[in-house]
Amino acid sequence: MTITAGGKIIFILMAFLVTFACFASDAFSGEVQECLRCHAKHGIIKKFENNESIEAYVDAKKFMVSVHNSLACSDCHTDFSTEKHPSRRYRSKKQYIIKSSLVCRRCHLNLKATPIHAKVLSEEEEGKPHPCTNCHGSHSIVHVGKRTFKTEEQHCLKCHAYELSMEFNNGETLSLKIDASLLKASVHRKLSCSDCHFGFSSTRHPQRNFKSLRDFSIANSETCRRCHFDKYTKTMESIHYIKLSQGNLKAPVCTDCHGSHLTLDFGKERTLIAHRCQRCHPRIFDIYAKSVHGKALFDMHNRDVPVCVDCHKAHDIADALALDYREKIPEICSNCHANEAIVSKYGLSTNVVKTYLSDFHGVTLIFYKKQREEFNKPARQIAVCTDCHGSHNIISTRNTDPAVVKANLLKRCQQCHKDATKNFPAAWLSHYEPTLKKAPLVFIVNSIYQIFIPGLLIGLILQIILHIWRYAVNR
Amino acid sequence: MANIDRIKGNKIRRFSIFRIIEHWAVMLTFGVLVVTGLSQKFYSLDVSQWLIFKMGGIDYARLVHRFTGIVFLLITSIHIIIGIIGVAFKKWHPSMIISKKDFTDAIHNIKYYLGIESRPAICDRYNYKQKFEYWGILIGGLLMIVTGIILWFPTFITRFLPGEIIPAAKVMHTNQALVIFLIIAVWHIYNSIFSPDVSPLDTSIFTGYISKERMLTEHPIELARLEGKPLEEIITEHQDIHYENLETS
Repeated sequence: MTITAGGKIIFILMAFLVTFACFASDAFSGEVQECLRCHAKHGIIKKFENNESIEAYVDAKKFMVSVHNSLACSDCHTDFSTEKHPSRRYRSKKQYIIKSSLVCRRCHLNLKATPIHAKVLSEEEEGKPHPCTNCHGSHSIVHVGKRTFKTEEQHCLKCHAYELSMEFNNGETLSLKIDASLLKASVHRKLSCSDCHFGFSSTRHPQRNFKSLRDFSIANSETCRRCHFDKYTKTMESIHYIKLSQGNLKAPVCTDCHGSHLTLDFGKERTLIAHRCQRCHPRIFDIYAKSVHGKALFDMHNRDVPVCVDCHKAHDIADALALDYREKIPEICSNCHANEAIVSKYGLSTNVVKTYLSDFHGVTLIFYKKQREEFNKPARQIAVCTDCHGSHNIISTRNTDPAVVKANLLKRCQQCHKDATKNFPAAWLSHYEPTLKKAPLVFIVNSIYQIFIPGLLIGLILQIILHIWRYAVNR
Repeated sequence: MANIDRIKGNKIRRFSIFRIIEHWAVMLTFGVLVVTGLSQKFYSLDVSQWLIFKMGGIDYARLVHRFTGIVFLLITSIHIIIGIIGVAFKKWHPSMIISKKDFTDAIHNIKYYLGIESRPAICDRYNYKQKFEYWGILIGGLLMIVTGIILWFPTFITRFLPGEIIPAAKVMHTNQALVIFLIIAVWHIYNSIFSPDVSPLDTSIFTGYISKERMLTEHPIELARLEGKPLEEIITEHQDIHYENLETS
């Protein structure tokens, strides 16, 4: 921007006016008083062509303490004076604001020296106007350096409450407008902006470049660890972090699940958790929503049923296809299904885990798990809860025809026992302890031995004792 | 079987080489089956887990258990076949057959232990204790073989039999294992190692020979048959030795 001779004159004139104003701080100049005679009153409405309107009202008190209190009205409203009061036509309020705030730049020339203005101006060159008054106000304008904001938030929102945007190297843009009401609803409502936007403050506003919007989000989510270090270290073990570090930028970071300026407390609204996961895992969500757990959650607002994070965890989400996760499944299910307080309400037995673990599959699993953990021996897959019951698609068998359940079970058995036939599923006692009713043969055989073994042992030991006793007596 | 050739000086041939080898074979397979089997039955014990891990994991433990089971099946089959052939065609004395005398002997011996009878029962080649043990192990072993095969091939078995046979076989296999283990660990080990009659070790199954002295006390009927003497003579002979022993001790 070149400084014209006219501009210089105006600048000198203004400097003179400022000096003059020092002597007359209480009273406005005659022109100001003349204008305020009408414009200090409410009711003067300026209408635009699109029927928008603006009130031509000036708060005299605010103007008196404004940084421009020594200027005359016509210094900014250049067409006007005590004599001239032209009527102008504008298409819209926006057009009016853009046009009238151009006058600021007649005095404030070296705007590009500050990064924030440089940014704004560069956007303006691309055709996106940034009226000065949007951020600085008009008649109530206060010196930025001397301006005191109650909070840092107010300071930042002075600009970020408006349609600012940020452009990334790949051409994507991000609106930097922050909705103050969201901040108030966030669990972080007591934090100030720089607590998260580290490096920014009321005096510092570094200029940063990011390749893409995603890069920006990932980099920004790093700030969470400054407070939530425990969660951060947990995420380092998660499948999401592994995918991210392998270069899959779609893998979620903190803010993808928790939000940024509106960070919510998930604990109170369990359906919200499932919906968060749904964003990336929509098909699994649909299956889950139809399962016995999902239905109870969404239809009955049941707080006992597991949502995604109860099985997969929230931060240290393991690879669900990995063997070590698979080995933990009985333990995961037992968190609820071995807990009397939770499952007894629904008429479910806590025996399910015990009966699984004491049977062939359960014992084998225990060994495989230990072998892998302690001896690093590769283990094969062995049937766990989900292999028979399903995982996201678990349904209740209560209202299902037993014949259908049996036929379905056979299919599950056949996944491992390829040549299983229709009698085979009955080899598994369906989590029941053997009784005369449920498994009479097993019960009877077991009962016979329960009597026979102690009887045999007592008989043999008595014989031995008698024999030794006789020997001792004979000697 | 009964002939004078079996008497060699003060020793009497009790077991043939075949029986000695058979005992070794059963002893070794039994040992392996117990270690690999009971460690699966009592899987939560540290020692079981240590053993299984030493074997290379549960899969190897099961593999060893199953193939040792096959060896046990072979030994048992050979034993039964030879027993039947021997008794049917070679006129062996069916010395393991349980008779009424075994029950009266048992009652007699208990009375003797309690001091009601003055002397122990007079027994043949195998006394009632040995017969009990033999049949206990043989029948138990057969049950283990049958239930073991059922557990090894559950999908095949359930083609013909109801599914419940599998958990029933498991319950039987695991309990019968304990029965056999107890018979061996308590009864057999006592009678062949710790019993004052044989202590420190009854060596007859390893050497094949038994002393005449023990034959006199434990198997007088067989001795009488071997020597071709009347039983009464054997008993008097035994009583003489018995009183000599009492006087010298």
